[in-house]
Amino acid sequence: MSSHREAPEISKDPAADSTDVYAFMHPTEDDQVVIIANFYPLQQPNGGPNFYEFADDVLYEINISNTNKCQPDVTYRFNFRTEIRNPSFLYNTGQITSLDAPEWNRPQTYNVVRLEKMGRRNEKAVQIGGRFPVPPVNVGPRSTPNYEDLANSAITTVGPRKFFAGQRTDAFFVDLGSIFDLGALRPFNGAHLLPMAAMDGINSVQSYNCHTIAIQVPRSDLVKGGNPTLSFKDRKNTIGVWATASRRNARIFEDKSGTYKGAGPKKQVSRLGNPLFNEVLVPMTQKDKWNTTEPKNDSDYADTVLQPELQTLLPFLYPGVFPNLEAYDKPRADLAAILLTGIPGGVVNDADGKSIFQNYTGPVQADMLRLNTAIKPTDPESDSYSIYGVVGGDIGGFPNGRRLEDDVVGISLRAVAGATIPLVDPDYTPDETAAQLRDGTSYTGDPLLSDFPFLAHPGGGYQTTPGTSTFEDPAS
Amino acid sequence: MSETSRRNFMAAAGAGAAATTAVALSAGSAQAKPAALSGKGAKESVVALIDDHKGATVRLLVGENEVIVHDRDLVTRILNAAGGK
Repeated sequence: MSSHREAPEISKDPAADSTDVYAFMHPTEDDQVVIIANFYPLQQPNGGPNFYEFADDVLYEINISNTNKCQPDVTYRFNFRTEIRNPSFLYNTGQITSLDAPEWNRPQTYNVVRLEKMGRRNEKAVQIGGRFPVPPVNVGPRSTPNYEDLANSAITTVGPRKFFAGQRTDAFFVDLGSIFDLGALRPFNGAHLLPMAAMDGINSVQSYNCHTIAIQVPRSDLVKGGNPTLSFKDRKNTIGVWATASRRNARIFEDKSGTYKGAGPKKQVSRLGNPLFNEVLVPMTQKDKWNTTEPKNDSDYADTVLQPELQTLLPFLYPGVFPNLEAYDKPRADLAAILLTGIPGGVVNDADGKSIFQNYTGPVQADMLRLNTAIKPTDPESDSYSIYGVVGGDIGGFPNGRRLEDDVVGISLRAVAGATIPLVDPDYTPDETAAQLRDGTSYTGDPLLSDFPFLAHPGGGYQTTPGTSTFEDPAS
Repeated sequence: MSETSRRNFMAAAGAGAAATTAVALSAGSAQAKPAALSGKGAKESVVALIDDHKGATVRLLVGENEVIVHDRDLVTRILNAAGGK
């Protein structure tokens, strides 16, 4: 998945597991940037009585680099606190009709601190606010009636900034069941080394929730010096974004209380910028380490980008489908540009050869989600809008930031399959299938919201019907 | 040695539940003057980590801080205590 359970260690620590990061310009409010960081993957909505929540002992952060050093120049830091209101064993003892309802037994709040690097060594920390409310999870219509109003009341506005932290429907879509069964893409089942009948993809994330931290802030909050310009060519308008989660260095089990207590400073245990980076590119032996490192050190992982394992697997798993890709033996400079440095100007041009896009952040190789904040959002109703983002001719989408609707699995498959090689190597002709690759899934949750925090309200526990599974071979 | 401090040192050495023997840290330093707790001494749980048993570094995790102590004698005493000696 994008980064759901993508490394051995973090897969055992879901509350700290960052799953997706999105960054995009607000579709209707000028100069407002929306950044969404999701954590805690694959929440079955009916998973009571101890429903999902942010961890009080995890430090959640959204990091922004606005220089060519690829370091956190601006950081939004989130600390959570859980209260227990009454001695019941239940999450709620009656209907939760407001965020201060006494019937809600386990409310959470959080505080937000904004850190800004000042010079080489100094940092300015500003507490934006404390005790911001987290809405309850969506238990069901009896426990959390009017959930939409309840959740919306947890959106906190502070001056020009908005904050939301709470449960949401996971917007990511992917066919995990097929992809991790020897790289199968159901629409291309017939061309697989072990062929089966072609069919539509199945969204494995359907009906699952996650926990979201979302911010909407003016781009002057994020861009170096606080004075963005209107030109996409002005490099200071491009920011690099990634999310992290950190835990205390040691955990001590207190047998007197049956709980864990932290000791020592917080250490980063999860990181996420571009979708699928750690999941698909980094080898198994390095995934845990990668989660502890900073983007500025990602040159250590450049080889996995320049020579991706998946590039060699595709021609093997789909014999005869990718002959040009199989023969291509140059380092993948296109992938390095997309994922590690940003795309320089002059690479993505209009029909007249005029440069229309860049999100280059300099030569430091760093996995960050790069958003050029001077590029206006693409109207979803316009012809230029594409869920395949820049690969599909839409510079308003991934890898220029990432929108909720962007098919990052399809984009990544096409890129690795060679569709983006001509950006840096015009002599290369992509295989015909490269530009058509997809896993056949689409977002299948409740409709996304038209305004902050954009992700759909979480599916309810009562409303959830378990999926189906069988051990039988579908071909037998 | 109190139960609390013994558990801390067991955790530091990774001894876990198997290390049930009470150990006196003063072993090997019978001639030393007993240490007195200073006013700056930690007043909460402390986890001691020794990554390299051949080195001289002890990492003390206390609160949200990490204190690095370079003291081969201290390392030796903790290792001996963790080994039940």
